[in-house]
Amino acid sequence: MRQVAAIGTGQTKHAKSRDDVNQSELVREAVTRALADAEITMRDVDAVVLSNMELFEGRALPEMWVGEGAGGYLKPAMKIATGGTSGTSACIAGYHQCASGLFDIVLVVGWEKHSEGATQTGMALTDPLWDRNVASGAVGNFALSISQYVTERGVTPEQAAKVAVKARRNAAKNPYAHLQMPDLTVEQVLASRMLADPIHLLDMCPQSDGACALVYAAEGRTEKLCPRPAWVRAAVTRHDQPYIGDLDRRLVTMRTLRDAAREAYKRVGIAEPLKEIDVAEIYEPVSYAELAWYEALGFCAEGEAGRLIDEEATEMGGELPVNPSGGVLSTNPVGASGVIRVAEAAMQVMDRAGAHQVPGARTALATGYGVYAWSDVIILSADK
Amino acid sequence: MTELLRISHTMTLSWRYGASWYFAEFIRALRDERRILGLRCPICRRVYLPPRPVCGNCCAELREWVEVKDTGTVRAFTVVHTPIIDPSTGQPRPTPYGMALIQLDGADTTLNHYLAENDPATLRVHIGTRVRAIWRERGSGTLSDIVHFAGMNNEQ
Repeated sequence: MRQVAAIGTGQTKHAKSRDDVNQSELVREAVTRALADAEITMRDVDAVVLSNMELFEGRALPEMWVGEGAGGYLKPAMKIATGGTSGTSACIAGYHQCASGLFDIVLVVGWEKHSEGATQTGMALTDPLWDRNVASGAVGNFALSISQYVTERGVTPEQAAKVAVKARRNAAKNPYAHLQMPDLTVEQVLASRMLADPIHLLDMCPQSDGACALVYAAEGRTEKLCPRPAWVRAAVTRHDQPYIGDLDRRLVTMRTLRDAAREAYKRVGIAEPLKEIDVAEIYEPVSYAELAWYEALGFCAEGEAGRLIDEEATEMGGELPVNPSGGVLSTNPVGASGVIRVAEAAMQVMDRAGAHQVPGARTALATGYGVYAWSDVIILSADK
Repeated sequence: MTELLRISHTMTLSWRYGASWYFAEFIRALRDERRILGLRCPICRRVYLPPRPVCGNCCAELREWVEVKDTGTVRAFTVVHTPIIDPSTGQPRPTPYGMALIQLDGADTTLNHYLAENDPATLRVHIGTRVRAIWRERGSGTLSDIVHFAGMNNEQ
């Protein structure tokens, strides 16, 4: 195994609708910026990994249709689709390709253009034997799990709303973010339309058009190309059972994220995540999930997530800023969302996050969340 | 610059899914006998509903049928206000409607299904509430043969 680092990232302006470009142009926008950031050209790229949930746009073989925009011609290119984890799965696959010694430079690009289709149509194509008869969509399923989480942990709607406010306020300093709401208040979140008790509209992530690209280089090449790369220190993935009813108190236990985090921390030698990690970009599709992830990721003891947000420990300037970019709650082009988490974590370590930079960040955590409970955990560091 | 276009498409599609021996048996019992069947893992003894041929935790083949009752306990619940596309009709499902994860008596997993109650202001459901399946008069051989679950307030 070789050491691998992120040496460049690129994002599009994310928005509700990017009618000005098609999917290929959207991908090219992110890829061009990532190559420029890494100071390489497409000729230097050995392989391409793509991430997209094609059912959402209803166009098969997206890896072919965006081939020219992604630079995949006459190169090994593959597509990964694992729901919300698609982007982090692609980042982990790209890391494996580079670390294995197969390729020296790998480009990862994820995108989604939700405005082109009905995301619910894709969600409705769930298991035909069982799930389709009792579907309640992503919002309904989260609401079910949240009822268990708040009952066991005593988290309040106000504490969840603080997460939603933090995300949109942070997003206001991220020029690429979709929802930028610097003046959003807890009261406004609680007054927004109820989607499924207790989830308000502003507790939930949006659907966005956007793309994000990331360039990896293997050791040897990295040192020549990048003065301050973000070394991948751990990349762990965990999948779980298919039916929501199989998972014991999903948000409370979240065994995939707990297990992935435990292994990642062991590899890096992290004993106290809250103190030793400088910044986190976690995949929070709904405000309550971020609180549940704090516990699963070991940022606090079980039942302490509400206190953590009350004490502003995860705000910019807190002990462990979570989602300086604004997170999934502010920007959610699904196939890109996981790549954005890893790219934003890399930008922090590389000291290239601009107005939402956490000063002096050296160790960053990125996570992916997909389907009912799939988890990815990636740790990046300024230290090899 | 030329005005931008959006190209619209609408299509009707259909599929035929193979349901295998275990689902065929589950549906036969549900449709013909109003019985709900789960499969038990020979190693961890977990009773799975929906039934499936393999226990993912133990990688063991499941062959032992176990009858599960149509009564159970609410383990999670919500009232959904935002319309989603009902996959069985392709149309938005009328809101609001109650949803729950219900642990049927005899099963170790929970079943997501609809609740009779859907008014948050008067909702008498909480985690731990006992509920019973309300069946359609004529079974069609899908999970929708159960209309929804209703509280057992006046029973037992």
